Amino acid sequence: MPDIKIRDLTIEYESGGYAVRPFDNFNLDLETGSLVLLLGASGCGKTTLLSALSSLLTPTSGTVHVGDTEVTSLAGEALTRYRQVGVGVVFQGFNLIPSLTARENIEVAMRAAGRPRRESRERAIALLDQVGLEDRVNHRPGAMSGGQQQRVSIARALALDPPLIVADEPTASLDYIQVDAVLRRLRDLAAPGRIVVVATHDERLLPLADRVVELTPRSIADDRPPERSELAPGEPLFTQGDTGTLVYEVDRGSIEIARELAGGGTEVLAIVEPPGYFGELAAMFGLRRSASARAGAKGAVVTGYNLREFRERLGREASAGFPGQR
Amino acid sequence: MRVAGSFEPGVVIVWLISMRDLQYRYRRFLIAVAVTALVFGIAVAIDGIKQTLQTEPDRLVAAFGADTWVVQRGSTGLFTTTALLPESVVGELRETPGVRSAQGVLSAFTTITGEERKNVNVIGFDLNSGGPEIVEGRAPQGEHEAVLGGGLDAEVGQQVATTSGAFTVVGRVAGLRFNGGTPTIFLTLSGAQTALMDGLPMVMGVAVEGQPEGLPAGTGITTNQAVSDDLRLTLSSATSTIDFVAFLTWIIAGGVIGAIVYLTAIDRTRDFAVLRATGSPKRLVVGGLMIQSLLLSMIAAGLAVPLAMLLRSGMPMPVTLSGSSVIRIVIVGIVVGVVASLAAVRRAVTTDPAVAFGGV
Repeated sequence: MPDIKIRDLTIEYESGGYAVRPFDNFNLDLETGSLVLLLGASGCGKTTLLSALSSLLTPTSGTVHVGDTEVTSLAGEALTRYRQVGVGVVFQGFNLIPSLTARENIEVAMRAAGRPRRESRERAIALLDQVGLEDRVNHRPGAMSGGQQQRVSIARALALDPPLIVADEPTASLDYIQVDAVLRRLRDLAAPGRIVVVATHDERLLPLADRVVELTPRSIADDRPPERSELAPGEPLFTQGDTGTLVYEVDRGSIEIARELAGGGTEVLAIVEPPGYFGELAAMFGLRRSASARAGAKGAVVTGYNLREFRERLGREASAGFPGQR
Repeated sequence: MRVAGSFEPGVVIVWLISMRDLQYRYRRFLIAVAVTALVFGIAVAIDGIKQTLQTEPDRLVAAFGADTWVVQRGSTGLFTTTALLPESVVGELRETPGVRSAQGVLSAFTTITGEERKNVNVIGFDLNSGGPEIVEGRAPQGEHEAVLGGGLDAEVGQQVATTSGAFTVVGRVAGLRFNGGTPTIFLTLSGAQTALMDGLPMVMGVAVEGQPEGLPAGTGITTNQAVSDDLRLTLSSATSTIDFVAFLTWIIAGGVIGAIVYLTAIDRTRDFAVLRATGSPKRLVVGGLMIQSLLLSMIAAGLAVPLAMLLRSGMPMPVTLSGSSVIRIVIVGIVVGVVASLAAVRRAVTTDPAVAFGGV
C-alpha cells in the first residue's frame, strides 16, 4: 500500500487574469523509503505539487493522502500540527531566518512545536553535527556558504523527524562541490518510514532516485509522420493544459486560439488562417498547451508536424517568403 | 506513518525571534527609536506647554489667598476685564461682617522698553498685606517700586523701564506668569493706579478673605475657580491649537512607528512565510511584531522625557512636566505604537506560507 496517494488532483489558479491549471485530475502513488524526483521544465507545476504535499495550498479538487492523513482537508490546529511534524520542507533559497543562528533556526521549528528548550537545543546540535556543520552551530546564515545553508535547511526539515521531506530545487544555488554533500544527505534520508520528494530540473540527480515523475512528458513525436485533421466548426483540436507534441499548420478554414479566464469563460487570443501555424512553443519547450485550439465557424483542416519536420519546413518556406504565424 | 506532536509554542520563542531580529536590524531600530523619541519628546513638550497654560491661572489666583472675589456685577473675573470699581468698595467690604481681609486689585498690560521690548502684566496689590510670597527682597512700598515675577531678568536694586514709568526692583516672587506665560510685575495699588489709571482711585476687583454677608452696591461675588476659568478663556483658541498640533504630533509618531514596523514586516515576509510553512502558529508571528513595536514605543517614550526636558530649556515660555502627564504620555505613546503596528501585523498574518517556496 503506497504511503502517499494523490487522487484526481486538480489545481487551478489565476495568473494575469487567466486560469492556469498545472494539474488536471492528476494521480500518483509513492511508497515509503523512496527518493522521488519530480522532473520537469520551469512552470510545469513541480513546486505547486510540493506545496500541495506540504499543505501550503488547497487544491481545486482531489485528495492528497500522506499516510493516514488527508492533507487537503486539514485546517486550523490540525493543519499547523501537520506542518510541524508531518512534513519537513527544504526550500530552494534555503530560507533560513537570517537573524537566527544555525542552531536557533532548527530550535525555533522545534520550540514552535512545543518541544522543551533543552531537548530542542541538543537535537539541533546533533542534527548540525549529522550534516557536518558542528563548527557552524552559532553562525548566522549570512556567514555560511550556500551549501552550508542548504544543509542547515535540511537539518531544520529533519528537526521533528517527519515522515515526509519535500525539497524544492535543493541544488539550484549550489556549486558542484556543495551539491555532492547535499545529494548524499538527501539520498540517506530516504529510508523506510520516510519519503523524500525532490522537485528539480537537475538531471544529475537521476541516478540517485528510486522513482522519477516527469511532470512534462518527453516528446515522443519526433518520428511521427505528419497528422492531417479535418475539424467540424467548433470542434476542439487540443485543450489548454494538454501536453503538446505537434506544431500545427492551418491548410484550410480557421482555428480559434482561446484561453480560459479565471472567472470562467474564454478569451479568443487569435484566429489562425492559412498559411499560419500555432502550437510550436509547447512542442519546443515541453510545456503544456497554454491555450485551447478549436475550428472556426467554417471548420478547418490542419496538419500536425513533429518538431524536426516543422523546423525543416519553416527553413524551406522562410527562404521562399513564408510569412508564418502563431 | 505517524503524524504526532504537542502544540505549545512559548512566549520565550516569540521573544527570542523578536530580539534576534532587532539585533540583526539594530541600525534601523536605533534610527527608529531616535526619531520616535524626538517626536514623542516634542509631544511631551507640547503637552507641557498646554499644562502651563491650563495651570498658570490657578497658580496666580491661588497666590492671592482669597476665599472669594468681589467684582463689578456681571463680571466673571478681574484680570481680563475693563469693568472698574471705585476703591471705596474695598473699605466698605472691610467693614462688612464675615470679611477678615479685603485688598483691592488692579491689573493691566504694559511694555518693558529698552534693548528687548517685552509685554508684562502689571498687578497693583498691597503685598505687605498678603498675597504672593516674596522669595527675595521685600514688598514694594513706594509708587515707583516693583516686585518681579518669573520671566524677567532684572536683579533687585535695578531699574525697570516701562511705557508706564520706571520702577526700582525691590523683590521677587516665584513664577506667577499668566496670559500665556507673560511675565508679571507687582506694584503697590496706588503705584498701579498712578501708572495705569492716571491716579484714579479705581480697582478691578477685591480679594476677600472670609465670606461677606453683604455686598456694596453694583458689585457681585465670584469664586477663585471662576476667576481662573475667565483667565483660561482668553487662551482657549491657543490651547485648542496646541491640542491640534499635539494630535498631529501623535499621528506623526504613529506614522513613524507604523512605517518602521511595516517596513520590517515587508522585509520579513519570507521569514513569516517560512515560519508559517514550518508550522509556527499565527500568534508567534503576531507576538513577535507586537513585541518589537512595544519595545520601540517604550524605549522611545522613556527617552522622550529627558528629551522634552532638553527641549524645555530652549523654549521661551514655561513648560510644565508633571509626573502624571509624563505617565499619560508614555501610555499614549505605547498605545500609538501598538495601533500603528496593526497594519504590519495584518500583513504578517496574511502572508501566504506558499511564498516560502518562491525561490532565491
